[in-house]
Amino acid sequence: MTAINRRTFVQLSGATAFAGALGLPHVARAAGGKVVIIGGGPGGATTARYLKLANPDIDVTLIEPNELYHTCFMSNEVLGGERTIEQIQVGYDGLKKIGVNVVHDFATGIDGGAKTVATKGGQSFAFDRCVVAPGIDFNYTHEGITEADAGNVPHAWKAGEQTTILRKQLEAMEDGGLVAIVAPADPFRCPPGPYERASLIAGYLKEHKPKSKVIIIDPKEKFAKQGLFTGAWKKLYGFETDNSLIEWLPFAKVGGISKVDAGTKEIVTDFETFKPAVLNYIPQQTAGKIAMDAGLADEKGWCPVDKQTFESKKVAGVHVIGDAAIATAMPKSGYSANSQGKVTAAAIAAILAGKEPVTPSYVNTCYSIAGKDYGFSVAAVYRYNAEKDVIGGVEGAGGLTPGDASPEQFKREVGYAHSWYNNIRKDSWG
Amino acid sequence: MRIKAILGSACVLLMTSGGLALGAEMSASLLADTCNGCHGPDGTSYGPASPTIAGTNKDYMVETMQAFRDGKRPSTIMQRIAKGYSDDELKLIAEYFAAKPFGRIVDQKTDPALVAKGKEIYDNLCEDCHEKDGRSAEDYPALAGQMMPYIESELRDLISGTRNLENNEALSSKERNKKQRNLKDLVDTHGEEGIAAVINFFGSQK
Repeated sequence: MTAINRRTFVQLSGATAFAGALGLPHVARAAGGKVVIIGGGPGGATTARYLKLANPDIDVTLIEPNELYHTCFMSNEVLGGERTIEQIQVGYDGLKKIGVNVVHDFATGIDGGAKTVATKGGQSFAFDRCVVAPGIDFNYTHEGITEADAGNVPHAWKAGEQTTILRKQLEAMEDGGLVAIVAPADPFRCPPGPYERASLIAGYLKEHKPKSKVIIIDPKEKFAKQGLFTGAWKKLYGFETDNSLIEWLPFAKVGGISKVDAGTKEIVTDFETFKPAVLNYIPQQTAGKIAMDAGLADEKGWCPVDKQTFESKKVAGVHVIGDAAIATAMPKSGYSANSQGKVTAAAIAAILAGKEPVTPSYVNTCYSIAGKDYGFSVAAVYRYNAEKDVIGGVEGAGGLTPGDASPEQFKREVGYAHSWYNNIRKDSWG
Repeated sequence: MRIKAILGSACVLLMTSGGLALGAEMSASLLADTCNGCHGPDGTSYGPASPTIAGTNKDYMVETMQAFRDGKRPSTIMQRIAKGYSDDELKLIAEYFAAKPFGRIVDQKTDPALVAKGKEIYDNLCEDCHEKDGRSAEDYPALAGQMMPYIESELRDLISGTRNLENNEALSSKERNKKQRNLKDLVDTHGEEGIAAVINFFGSQK
């Protein structure tokens, strides 16, 4: 560590930055082009922001029905009562300020040949490149429940009004009531989400309704961050004791669900019948509606893409990112969408400037909060593998918080989880 | 390997043509931008805990990431993430953030009495290395306006030895000894209040 080296560097980096600044406007003038982005979640917002940062001359239009977006991330804290619904709201002023044309309308169709996007409001937007970031849509697979029942049996898997409905039901429930979460089968948005939700609901029950209990009825035999969650549940919620506030009921224990009564909230499985006071039914999922309608999805309902540019393998000139895309091995998370937005923005900026897309780098960092002073994470650094056409995790990197982490470490991860939230919001929406 | 080849050619372009600087910039930025989700846009954190990494001395950031990668510096998550990058990539990332300004945008809650006491302690124990009220990032990391929970966790790890300065090969033995002497002095002379005061002082800097 020598002072001379560092001082020399500061001078050098100043010179480099200056050269870059000189070069930039020249390239910017040559580029331009029109990009239409569908969906104003973390994926779409990040793409819009980073396109403008890469080249302010690119004409960027973002089509999003809602004037206020509710982040799914940290919505479980709203359910637990640690955060208000207002605290997960984010608007689009940050994007408008840097010149993104934000249109509050609902995209209804993409014409890949004519390169136009049509909206419910009757508008039409021409594009050179289109980015589709529609998130998820639901596929109700059990007899006795449809999306029309979501007012009584919320999914709360798209945050906003649904989050508020579920929170109010939890507040209104009498002590001694049963809360049931029906978890979906893979793949779905936010793999650790149902288990974080169970944790934070249990935290609320522990403090306010200690005779109550939350059960998770799960078609899976294992789930994301399982060891960390069950470790936390043992420490915080008496997991696997007679007085446990949480019970996990995988297929092996209760069998499959044969019927759900959305009116009475009764759930019939192969081996048992449950009658919860509050039912949070998280349905199976597919890519968002517009991706399905525009023919971007495969037969399983997700969108195959080129892993370097996220350009659709079904419709040229259209890119699909975030939960809707098949981005193996990246999980369907907000951080993945944010990371993919940056890769896609860089690829599109290069393509519009007549250059080869650069080699991407991707990261996923996902925090879960299991209770007071108890957080943990999973991380991965990814590289593009052209041969296998996958986004592969760098070997030896990433992974989970160690199960034997100290209480101080779990506590610090809560602080970093909240920082993650504040920073990814700013990084995505400005 | 492909990454290195492209980064290499990008650097050549940077040197030969100003007009193609954007391509080179984006290669480094694609690596660095993935940090922003946790550390904030352009590396300036909106808090409450994750540190701002913008404006960090380039060599210090490379050394820090290598220390995380080699398990020489403790962390919650950074050891796992640092393992994903080669030395060349770390250099690009560090260079990128070194050129960004350290933003001091979060109004952290501080106690004026503790800030005043912290300033006194700072003048005696910290100023030699962390110059200009902790703003200088020339030789050591800037601490002025850094996130207070982060300063606290690092300070406590340094005091307890969990973050062992003996593992920091970038420091001379003289530097190591001085830092350890001053940390001991902070605890022995000023105790818990002194630790809080120093954190408040740095956290109060705008």
